[in-house]
Amino acid sequence: MNTVLELIFRLAWWLILAPLLPGIINKVKAWVAGRRGPPVLQLYYDLARLWRKSVVMSTLASPGFVIGPAVAWVALLGAVILVPLGPAGAALSFRGDVLLMLYLLALARFCTAWAAMETGSAFEGMGAAREVSYAVLAEAAMVAAMLSLCVQTGSVSLATMLAPSAGAGAVLLAAGLFTVLLAENCRVPFDDPNTHLELTMIHEAMILDHSGPPLAVILHGASMKLLLFSVLLTEAVLPMGDLSPFAATGVLLGGVLTATVGVGLVESLLARFAFQRVPLLLTTAVLLCLFALLVAWKGGAA
Amino acid sequence: MIDALMLVAAGSMLTGMLSGRFAPRLWLVAMLAGQGTAFAAAVSVLAGGMPWEWRSAFHVGGESLHLRLDSLSAFFLVLLCVVGGAATVYSREYWTDRAHPRSAGTGRGWWSALVASLGLVLLVCNGLHFLIAWELFTLSAYFLVTLDRPRREVRAAGWLYLAASHAAVLALFAFFTLLAARTGSWELGPMRERAELAPLFWLALFGFSLKAGVFPFHVWLPSAHASAPSHVSAMLSGVTLKIGIYGLVRFSGWLPVPVGAGWVVAVLGVVSAVLGVAFALGQHDLKRLLAYHSVENIGIILIGLGFALVAVEQGDTVWGRLAFAGGLLHVWNHGLFKALLFLGAGSVLHATGTREMSQLGGLWRTMPWTAGLFALGAAAISGLPPLNGFVSEWLVFLGLFDATVTHGPTAWAAIPAAILLGVTGALALACFVKVCGVVFLGAPRSPAASRAHESGPAMRGSMLLLAGGCVVIGLAPVIFWPALDRVLGAWRPAWGGAIPPAPLLALGCFHMALAIAAGLAAWWLWRRANRIALTRVLTWDCGYKAPTARMQYTAGSFAGIITEWFDWILRPVRHDERSVAFFPARAKWTEHTPETVLEHVVAPIGDVAMRLSTAMRRLQHGRVQAYVFYVVIGLAVLACIILTGGRP
Repeated sequence: MNTVLELIFRLAWWLILAPLLPGIINKVKAWVAGRRGPPVLQLYYDLARLWRKSVVMSTLASPGFVIGPAVAWVALLGAVILVPLGPAGAALSFRGDVLLMLYLLALARFCTAWAAMETGSAFEGMGAAREVSYAVLAEAAMVAAMLSLCVQTGSVSLATMLAPSAGAGAVLLAAGLFTVLLAENCRVPFDDPNTHLELTMIHEAMILDHSGPPLAVILHGASMKLLLFSVLLTEAVLPMGDLSPFAATGVLLGGVLTATVGVGLVESLLARFAFQRVPLLLTTAVLLCLFALLVAWKGGAA
Repeated sequence: MIDALMLVAAGSMLTGMLSGRFAPRLWLVAMLAGQGTAFAAAVSVLAGGMPWEWRSAFHVGGESLHLRLDSLSAFFLVLLCVVGGAATVYSREYWTDRAHPRSAGTGRGWWSALVASLGLVLLVCNGLHFLIAWELFTLSAYFLVTLDRPRREVRAAGWLYLAASHAAVLALFAFFTLLAARTGSWELGPMRERAELAPLFWLALFGFSLKAGVFPFHVWLPSAHASAPSHVSAMLSGVTLKIGIYGLVRFSGWLPVPVGAGWVVAVLGVVSAVLGVAFALGQHDLKRLLAYHSVENIGIILIGLGFALVAVEQGDTVWGRLAFAGGLLHVWNHGLFKALLFLGAGSVLHATGTREMSQLGGLWRTMPWTAGLFALGAAAISGLPPLNGFVSEWLVFLGLFDATVTHGPTAWAAIPAAILLGVTGALALACFVKVCGVVFLGAPRSPAASRAHESGPAMRGSMLLLAGGCVVIGLAPVIFWPALDRVLGAWRPAWGGAIPPAPLLALGCFHMALAIAAGLAAWWLWRRANRIALTRVLTWDCGYKAPTARMQYTAGSFAGIITEWFDWILRPVRHDERSVAFFPARAKWTEHTPETVLEHVVAPIGDVAMRLSTAMRRLQHGRVQAYVFYVVIGLAVLACIILTGGRP
């Protein structure tokens, strides 16, 4: 009974809280720009509306156009289940679950890109190509970041890896992970979720032809991914394991909120980079994570 | 019991070889019976763990025949039988007598010879017989690669394959003769304590890695695998490359290994993995692209083997065991999904007559089975959960992560290897999104693609079998652990008897849950979409009224971002004709990624050798007077040597 309740609580956290994050980002952006902006709950309204709408599909698309987003959403759900939630720990924890999480994100990427290629549109092809290409560097940064946590804690399981703070390399790791967060979630300066020019987009270009419930599933999945990265960032940097459950919950919420507001501020203050400079910035993220790894290595040896 | 099974297998193989030409039905039955019985024997050895030995008084080449089936041989024999069986059935429909009256019969004969000689390589315990079986399988593979001999590029690919294979045979010849000279016998077996044999490992490494297609030695691989008939490509890539791995594993287990060998193998593995997939991204020929992915996957296997050797050197077996188990499991996995992908590519080629990806597209509509199974293979080779590719990569990763955590000197290699393995996975994913998207999705780019047809039951059935293997290993990896454990024990006796790493069970359960959840979600969303009215319209293209298939993203443009990063090694040949006039005129852009190592390293060396030989040939021109003059000069030189202080 207890485990069922716990699972329900966990799913509620991930499923219900996730769409709040894009709302907060938009509110921050509106606040910086001096506008009133859309309500914080806007994405919830959008999802409810999309779920009821009918679907328009390209004549070229196969059932994979709908199945892809569904599988991607399940993969993201699987990834978030593996991430420990502060004091509650992880629902399922075993050695090497960190790699499973990384590869579940890859599965979601594969399915989204597959669904994008379904329509035969050059825009979607362009978006999918960018998504999978930049993910190569993001993947390198993620592996380096996870390795630095492994070295720091001597463990290969997310629950123990994320409990202590990242130590001396925390700032480097935070900067690296935050850059990866921006890239993986297609935020400025890598991608502009608000632009209306298909040629300059990544994620939005991939889902141009989606509509109705499949689009709702994609949007919800994207918000879940954003929450996953913010939780990961918070727990990697802050010593969650040393706090009392109550404080840890507060710190987790605060950390996620800070990361979200940070994304909003970056989006308000920075312009999107030209595509030639995106790999450079991602390489910087890889280097930051590598330096964090070196610092963890030195710290562990002492 | 294994005696009887092996006897039946040998008899069936012989029947297959003899009947291939004239009695295709009998051939099929004999081949399936032979591979089925060999499979049963191999599984019983893997499950029971007792090696099977057979010595006969019968002599071949002056040596008595000695066969042994231990768990290591059995492990590779299982792969041979599964992939071989599937490809045998496939070939009945793919390379029929009606479509290929000239080559179908001989093809069947050589196919039986290939399967039988591969089996022999795995079983023999004698250096001389190993060489004989090796040469037999090399030659039968050559005749299979060149089945479609009238085409020029097939002959060229076959020649390159033969030349490269014989470079490998030369190294192996040196290896086995030196081994026999030092041990005094051709018999093979464990001799780990004789440290003076260690340097021979380098010869074996060269020979076997040439056969396995490790990066700088892979020059023969892309063209041979692309030009061969698809069932042969599946066999070459799924099994014969692994025979190179078998040789490495076998002789690194039986013989002492020199210091530093593990590092070399690991570096070769990392280089092959990253550059193999980079070259694959640059390809626009479907089968050539798959061939380069073999280089990548052989690299992943070698990373596992290399770190296992490093672990042996350092006396630390915990993470080495994981890496080695991952590498071994990847042998099976790559055999399964690569054969599946090659058979899928064969179905595409069969249905459309082209391997050129820029001519394909939209095939899912006419070939839904092939598209679905190819997609499964693509997800598996990209290492995505819940399929088998992820399980083996996960084990290798876990070994590397553990090696890092131990904080030893190995970490300096394990960290870059882990990061580059992650990069390889992401690159493979990009490549297979490209392949699936361009070949199976979107609109057909040529009339041939729009007239495609689904392949028949034999071709579909064999693909289904391989896909089933991929799914089973992915969902229930823990049931394969005992087999891996036995092979670990056969490789290094101290490594056997390990309990299954507990996470494998948790991983399997997670995969199972994931697969069920994904199925349910997909079904639910598809039903939801259909229930609330699903309308079909043209793809939105910024308001164009009549989009054409040529407006789709191509394979080259999809991979463009990444291939640009690898320009330094890919060295693509670009041909750019821009329209410079004020009004739209003809413009053209072509890009081709050649085999860099072949064109920039092997070809120049070959040129120099040819030039030297041509210069030498001037000595021989057919004029008798000059030859007499040579003889006189020779005698004079000899006389000088004797007169000036030579011994009397």
